[in-house]
Amino acid sequence: MTALMDDLATSTATPPAGTAMPFVTTSPLTTLPDRRDAAGVPQHRRVVGHISRHDVMVIVGALISAVATTMLVFGRFTPLDGQPGFTVVAFVLFLAIYAVLVSLTESLPAVVDRVMTALLATAAIVALAALFSVVVFVLWRGREALSKPNFYLEDLSVTGPLDPLEVGGILHAIVGTLVMTTIALIITVPLGLACAVYLTEAKGRGANLVRTVVTAMTALPSILAGLFIFATWILILGNQRSGLAASIAISIMMLPIIIRSADVVLRLVPGNLREASAALGAPQWRTVWHVVLPTARTGLTTSVILGVARGVGETAPVLLTAGFTATMNANPTKNPMVSLPLAAYELVRSPQPELIARGFGAAAVLMILVLALFTVARIFGGRPAGRLSKRQAKRAAARSTADLARFTSRQEGVS
Amino acid sequence: MKQQRFAGAAVVIAGVVLALTCVPTPTQARDSYQRISGEGSSWAANAIDAMRVNVRQFGMTVDYNPSGSSAGRKNYLNGTVDFAASDIPFQFQPEDGSAPENPAPGTYAYIPVVAGGTAFMYNLKINGKRVTNLRLSGQNVARIFTGELTVWNDPALVADNPGLVLPARTIVPVVRSDGSGSSAQFTKWMISQYPQIWNTFCDKSGRAPACGFTSFYPTLPGMIAQGGDLGIAGYVSQGFAEGAIGYVNYSYALGSQFPVAKVLNNAGFYTEPTPQNVAVSLLKAQINTNEADPTVYLTQNLDGVYSDTDPRSYQLSSYSYFILPTVVGGQFNAEKGKTLAAFAYYAMCQAQQQSASLGYSPMPINLVQASFDQIRKIPGAVVQDIDISTCKNPTFAADGSNLLADTAPQPKSCDKQAQVSQCPDGTGGMSNVQTAVKSGGDPAAPTATVQPPTASTAPPAGGGGATGGGATGGGAIGGGGTGGGATGGGATGATLPGAVTDSTIAAGDPTLPGDTVPVVPGLGEPGDISVDGCDPDAGCGAQAGVAQVEVGAITTTTLKAEPGSLPLILLNIVLVLGLIVGPPLAWKHFSRKSPA
Amino acid sequence: MAVLDDTREMDPVTTVPALPEADTPAPKPRDVSTRRGLGDRIFRGGASLSGVLVLSVMVAVGLFLSIEATQALRSTGVSFFTTSEWQPDRNKFGIAAVLLGTVVIAFVAVAIALPISIGTALFITEVAPTWLRSTLVALVDLMAAVPSVVYGLWGLFLLQGQLVGVSRWINAWLGWIPIFNVAGADPHSPLSSASVYTASAFIAGVVVAMMVMPIQCVVMREVFSQVPLGEREGAYALGSTRWGMIRVVALPFGRGGMIGGTMLGLGRALGETIAVLLIISPRFDINLHILEAGANSVSSLIALRYSEASGFGLSALMAAGLALFAVTLVVNFTASWFVARSRSGASSEA
Repeated sequence: MTALMDDLATSTATPPAGTAMPFVTTSPLTTLPDRRDAAGVPQHRRVVGHISRHDVMVIVGALISAVATTMLVFGRFTPLDGQPGFTVVAFVLFLAIYAVLVSLTESLPAVVDRVMTALLATAAIVALAALFSVVVFVLWRGREALSKPNFYLEDLSVTGPLDPLEVGGILHAIVGTLVMTTIALIITVPLGLACAVYLTEAKGRGANLVRTVVTAMTALPSILAGLFIFATWILILGNQRSGLAASIAISIMMLPIIIRSADVVLRLVPGNLREASAALGAPQWRTVWHVVLPTARTGLTTSVILGVARGVGETAPVLLTAGFTATMNANPTKNPMVSLPLAAYELVRSPQPELIARGFGAAAVLMILVLALFTVARIFGGRPAGRLSKRQAKRAAARSTADLARFTSRQEGVS
Repeated sequence: MKQQRFAGAAVVIAGVVLALTCVPTPTQARDSYQRISGEGSSWAANAIDAMRVNVRQFGMTVDYNPSGSSAGRKNYLNGTVDFAASDIPFQFQPEDGSAPENPAPGTYAYIPVVAGGTAFMYNLKINGKRVTNLRLSGQNVARIFTGELTVWNDPALVADNPGLVLPARTIVPVVRSDGSGSSAQFTKWMISQYPQIWNTFCDKSGRAPACGFTSFYPTLPGMIAQGGDLGIAGYVSQGFAEGAIGYVNYSYALGSQFPVAKVLNNAGFYTEPTPQNVAVSLLKAQINTNEADPTVYLTQNLDGVYSDTDPRSYQLSSYSYFILPTVVGGQFNAEKGKTLAAFAYYAMCQAQQQSASLGYSPMPINLVQASFDQIRKIPGAVVQDIDISTCKNPTFAADGSNLLADTAPQPKSCDKQAQVSQCPDGTGGMSNVQTAVKSGGDPAAPTATVQPPTASTAPPAGGGGATGGGATGGGAIGGGGTGGGATGGGATGATLPGAVTDSTIAAGDPTLPGDTVPVVPGLGEPGDISVDGCDPDAGCGAQAGVAQVEVGAITTTTLKAEPGSLPLILLNIVLVLGLIVGPPLAWKHFSRKSPA
Repeated sequence: MAVLDDTREMDPVTTVPALPEADTPAPKPRDVSTRRGLGDRIFRGGASLSGVLVLSVMVAVGLFLSIEATQALRSTGVSFFTTSEWQPDRNKFGIAAVLLGTVVIAFVAVAIALPISIGTALFITEVAPTWLRSTLVALVDLMAAVPSVVYGLWGLFLLQGQLVGVSRWINAWLGWIPIFNVAGADPHSPLSSASVYTASAFIAGVVVAMMVMPIQCVVMREVFSQVPLGEREGAYALGSTRWGMIRVVALPFGRGGMIGGTMLGLGRALGETIAVLLIISPRFDINLHILEAGANSVSSLIALRYSEASGFGLSALMAAGLALFAVTLVVNFTASWFVARSRSGASSEA
């Protein structure tokens, strides 16, 4: 996950210089230097390897032939059984037939190339198939619960072990997740961002120490964060298991993630922006508040959202600290409170089909929530720092025009 | 502009939190009951869950976390929950080497709150049909859960089940992985009844010398350990878990619609832990009445249950307890005490009406009365509300006896040990599914007189047909009998209203012209897993089973080809080479040559 | 914090201009004032306060775990690392079995995830058409975001049933390799119970593999995308096929990133709790037969036993947790070391 955020951060790292301040003027006050390299040609990767119709035919032909052959021989003298076995046999046959077909027209290196390409594509297909299977399976198993409106509007407090799906839902878990996440956000966002600012603005041994420790803490297994809170907050301080305890445990998990990715994002803010601000005489806090943070805003949002996505899905710390209840509890300071992952975990362990369906429903809701958060993060993170959306650009342009008018009127007044 | 945006977001978030935290929960607004939380036994969890649901109508909110008796007692001692549910009392001197629990004297009270049987839920199929009438002697139960019996067609198990053709499948004992009161009850029973078996197992598992009864069941390779009754029931009911058997409360078998094994009692009958049978058995439980010593007051001594000679008794019956605080402290205050007392009162009275339908047995009147005194000790309890006259407990008879135990039906004679066959009736959550049994006895036994029990009724009501059914039960739906007998059995089954009878015959082949049936049918018949032909010395293990596998049970492809398929394979290879690989290669070969 | 005095390392707020006028008398350095305004002082104070706070929280977690763990460690000494049983209250406990179990599950996971993640990363950077690339990147990232409990459910209810057959097959054909051996199972007998193949390290490993695969893939993709164009084109110019280019240029270039990504995945696999807890049946003996029923991991042991552990038992659990933390720490730092040291990763942050 951290690597993921670094990756997102690097994608925000290449602001086209100058686009940050689109002054609308008649003649350019500042010209951009020509950044193109000596050859004058921007570097692009060549797209190699395109697929001709012949290639497609060969692949499709090999595939059909492999499946047909497998159906013919499968179960007779192949050592495998079941669906996985069929797939494996068909795949091996496909590779063999494909190699033979390619070898008709190509040389040996080309055959190797094609077969390896097929293997790479298979790896990607396996990965996507796994994702697809996870999403579809969870939605499918939870479909009966998900299709009932009461599932989202009721808790399980009046739902006995044998009640049908028409009674009861997971509202308590949804509320629990929202409350816990909100508290975790209130703790981690100010603290995490301030710490990231500290890391980037106050360089030196102290910052390096903090950075090392934070990096180390990203390796902390989540269950240990839960165990820490369980042993201190609950056993030593004698508090009840509650939503607050779970929120703190989640915060300990989220904090290093947010700090690390925010640190990376902040370090990628172009130095010239900072220098420009300093040259205008702004004190450091103004530079940070007006230049650094706004420039990195999308990246920071992304890092926070990704931290939240991780925190929302955490089960282990919540299992240790939140207790378990079937009843709605919106008060995080006392009484147990469940979150969606915890509810999913507890419900599916039951042998009763209705409870399992509810567990899958809770998992599906959780998954949709996380995927939605993630999509939001992609949308934010997809735009490099400083590049504005249409509305923002329009607003900035309007401000520039107003400034221009103000300047001209002042100049006219002077002259 | 941007900092305003940040600030705006912060305000919104703060607002959301405020709104969420300030919303009063309905219970707080409606009644003066405070929310209480409990933790503990998963054995009793189904009953407690039902209570929790029902007291909502009075405005009480009870949280219950079925994480196991050990966790319940531990968290009660830690003060993180208001009450605990545990199958065994606090362990001042644990016999298994775990740390002693030392609650402050006089700060707690026990009340027995549910009674039930620890049932052996299993997943076993013969010919693809689920077995629902398995019987086990106590010794075999102990041997299964200590890894001594490893295959289902072991002669010892066959002796218990003369009417079944048990498959050569591996036995997979499923035990609790967490600290559990049912493990403690189960091991206590084993130690008392079969110390030899237990001690051998304890040595083998590396637990020795602390071989007392334990909440943490030792495991050997080949056993599966799962968390909670939920975990065991969940595992056993999975499709791949064929051959698995686990110990759970009877209610879980009902809930997951799985059968439970009937266990042999001292009267020589195989019985099921139905609420009635449990009620009968627990009449023999010695409840400690030494009120002066609160550390033992109302705790159970089950030796009498183990040695009970009533034909209806089930040896693994026991009570599960609430542990209630009698002093204020930590999270617990008098307002919570008021709620807890009301909840406990409800649990002892009205909640007991539901017990039987869930698979638990209701509390008898003497224990309810004793419990009331305990409940009154809870700080904040509204004493006048705790009144036996308003207690709607279904077991109370006018003369103070236990109605349920009085009306419990006698077991059918086909459940008796050393019969030639066994009852076909289902058990547990599959009481409406019969399993065909081999007729063991006299082939001339008139099958027409058999009166199969009304299988569609709930498990507690098993006894309707008990009187007549038993006499000839052995031959009831005997598949292996004469052809006429077999069809007769099928017909009888079909006429049962709502009963899912299994008219396909497990053991025999009805098409066989077998007019005279051997005493042990199935021997040597094609497609039969013949346990009888199996030499116990040579081992009737999995290896032995291979040769005797009957064709219908092969679900996976055989690993070696069938003998007649060799030409087919060769043909396939020729086809593959000739039609798919050959032509292109040949074409390439020739096309390369032709220009030259 | 003394750190804040060290302002000269700051991004240059004011730079001292180079003095070209050589003929002027020896220049006296200008007194560059670093006196900060009140706002800045508050700002820097606040920032460093947050730094100190975060540091103290993190250090507190580490210290607390260590202090609590010492009680258990002191009573067992070295045998903590050699004992496989877990009976803390009888002073008979150690992490030999659980830590090894954790490592076994993690290695199975990485062994399965590695080919898939390398393949997917290479497919995305080298093979996929441009229009597909960003979609694939997003999907793989999405995979990393799916909560572990969801993978756990999927593994328990869907994968386990499917994998039992695969386990049986591996056992039947590769059973002569010790790790694929299964005690008490006869794969050739259709009646041997499928249960002996369930709840195993293999099945838990496959589920964890699905979790670590995207993490590894992201790092590797990042590295492969940084392969210098010149070397790429050079390989093509010499007549290489695409696979030839990958083999000769991309893979050697990305080696550091691949190792780093793999270890990052390993770190995650070691710490996984819920998915493992849902699937395995805990056992406390040293077991390297990955297909055999029963496995264990440190984090699932903690989740299983924390609530019923006595004070000393909790200390023992913390000692186990600390050992796990030490392992993941080493793995993670090794990962970043590899990435930072590699040609490709000098600029990236893994």
